[in-house]
Amino acid sequence: MKNSKIVDGTWQWLDRKTREGSRKLARTTSRRSFLARLGTVLTGAAVLPLLPVVRAFAAESVAELGDPQSCDYWRYCALSGTLCSCCGGTHTSCPPGAEPSPITWVGTCRNPVDDRDYLISYNDCCGKAFCNRCHCHNTERARPVYYPSKSSSVIWCFGTESRAYHCTVGIVLGEAGGQG
Amino acid sequence: MRVVMLPALLLAMASQFFVTPLRAETVGKTVLPEPQPSWFMMNGWEASYIFDAADQQMKGLISHSVFTPAVVTLPSRKEAYFVDSFYARGVRGTRSDVLTVIDMRDLTTKAEIDIPDKAAALPIRQHIALLDDERHVVVFNMTPAQSVSVVDVVERKLTAEISTPGCGIIMPAGPRGFLMLCGDGTLQFITLDKNGKEAGRVRSESFFVMEQDPVFDRVVRSSGGWMLITHDGLVREVGVDGDRIKVGEAWSMLNAEDKEDGGEKEQWRPGGDQPFTMHRNTSLLYSLMHKGKVDTQDAEGTEIWVFDTSRRKRVAREVLPVAAEGILSSQEPSPRLYVLDKDHKLNIYDGLKLALLHTIEKPGVNGALLQTLTPND
Repeated sequence: MKNSKIVDGTWQWLDRKTREGSRKLARTTSRRSFLARLGTVLTGAAVLPLLPVVRAFAAESVAELGDPQSCDYWRYCALSGTLCSCCGGTHTSCPPGAEPSPITWVGTCRNPVDDRDYLISYNDCCGKAFCNRCHCHNTERARPVYYPSKSSSVIWCFGTESRAYHCTVGIVLGEAGGQG
Repeated sequence: MRVVMLPALLLAMASQFFVTPLRAETVGKTVLPEPQPSWFMMNGWEASYIFDAADQQMKGLISHSVFTPAVVTLPSRKEAYFVDSFYARGVRGTRSDVLTVIDMRDLTTKAEIDIPDKAAALPIRQHIALLDDERHVVVFNMTPAQSVSVVDVVERKLTAEISTPGCGIIMPAGPRGFLMLCGDGTLQFITLDKNGKEAGRVRSESFFVMEQDPVFDRVVRSSGGWMLITHDGLVREVGVDGDRIKVGEAWSMLNAEDKEDGGEKEQWRPGGDQPFTMHRNTSLLYSLMHKGKVDTQDAEGTEIWVFDTSRRKRVAREVLPVAAEGILSSQEPSPRLYVLDKDHKLNIYDGLKLALLHTIEKPGVNGALLQTLTPND
C-alpha cells in the first residue's frame, strides 16, 4: 500500500516537473535554442531510467528520487561545497579515510516526492585534501556567517582532528516541524 | 664589383676574431615599486596576487595558507597582516595559527605572532581588521564558539582573546573599537583600552530580523561608518558616536518601478561573493544585482547598480556582458571599478562612466576576493 503510494507520488512529481519544465522552457528559450537543445534532452530522456533512485522503497526511510551526484538532488538545497558522493563516499557517508564533523549546520529542504519539509544536517568530511569534484552552491534558507547555525559558508570541520575540508554529505534528521 | 666585395669579406672574417664573448646572464631580484592607489589584490588559494590597474601588470605575490581569506595593509608601516593557519603535516598534524607580518617593500615575511588556534576560515573580507589606532589587528575566531583575538602589531604580541557569543564580522569604529553584527538582529560595539584589552561593550536595539531579511555578511566602509545591506536590498549606514551605536534610517535599493519589474517570486536583489563596494570620496555605492528568488544572495550579478548614498538614489545602471561574482572600487580620486566575472576574468571599468577599460584575461586566480592596498578595503 505504502509502495503504491510512493510510486503514485513519484509519477505525480515527474508529471508536475515535466509540466513546469515545459512552461519554463517556453518562457525562457528561443525556438532556435530549443531545437539546438532538443537532442540533449532526448538523450537525457533515454538515460533517465538508469539514474539512481535512492532508497525509494525503504519503509523506515524517506522516499526520495534523484541523483545524489547532482547539485539538484533535493537534500542539497542549501549545500555549499563539494559532494562526497562524487569523491568515493555517498550522500550519507564520508569517503574512505575522511572524518565526519560531529558539529554541523542544519538546513530545511522540501522533498519533491512527498512535498514535505525535512531537516537536513550538512556534515563536512574532514582531514583530507579538498576533493575538487561536483561543486555545489545552493543557499536555500541559508543565513550569513555571523549566524553560523544556518550558514552554508562556514567550514564545519569543528571537533575533528583537522579542519582541512574534504567534502559534504546531507543527512536527513527528520521531518521539519514533525516528529522527526 | 669583385674588387669591392673582397675587402668587405675579409673584414667580416677578421671581425670574428675581435667579437667580445657573450656574457652569461645572472638572475636578478626585482625591487617592488612603491604601492600605488591603482594597485589591487586578488586573494586566492594559498596566495594573493598584486596587480596595478594602470598597466594591468602583476607586481608580485604574497604567499599564505589556504585558510587565509583576506589581508590587511598598513601603508604607514609598510606592512601587511593576515592569518596563517597550518597543520604540521599538510592536512594533519599539530595546528598552528599565527598573524603573519609581511614587509610591503619586498613582500617577504617579517614576523609571526602566535594567536589562539581558533581563527575562523570564512570567505569574507571582514574576518580580520585593523583598528583605526593603526596598532591593533582583530581576528575572528570560530570553534564554533565565537571570539576575537587582538594583536598589537607594534609590540608584536597577542593582547587579548575576547568572547563574542552570537556575533561576527569585524568593523573598525571609533578610535580603538569595532562593531560586530549579531544573530539577534543587533550590533555590538567593543572598545579596547590602550593595552588592547576589552574596555567596554554595548549593544544596539534589534533593527533587522534574521529569518525575514538578514543583513549581508559582506559589509563596506563608508565615510561615516559602515554600509549594511539586507538580502532584499535595504541599506543602512551604521557607526558610533562616543560609546553609542548609531543605526541610520533604512532605504531601499529598489524603486517602485524596479519592484514592478519583478514579480512575487522573482525580484531584483543584490548578490554575489563580493556584491558591494564603495568609493568614499564620492559617496557612491556599487552593487551587483540579479533578478532572482528569495535566498539567492550568492547569485552572480547580471547588472551593476550605482547609488549616490548622500541622496539615497540610484544614479546609474549597467548591464554586464558576463555575470559577475565580485566588485571592488579603487579609492583613487576618480574610481576604477574592478569586476571579477564568472569566467574568472578581471575587468577594469571607469567607475564614473561605467565604461570597460581593460580586461585581464587570465589573472591566475579563481574565485578570488578583491582588495585594494588601503587598510579598510
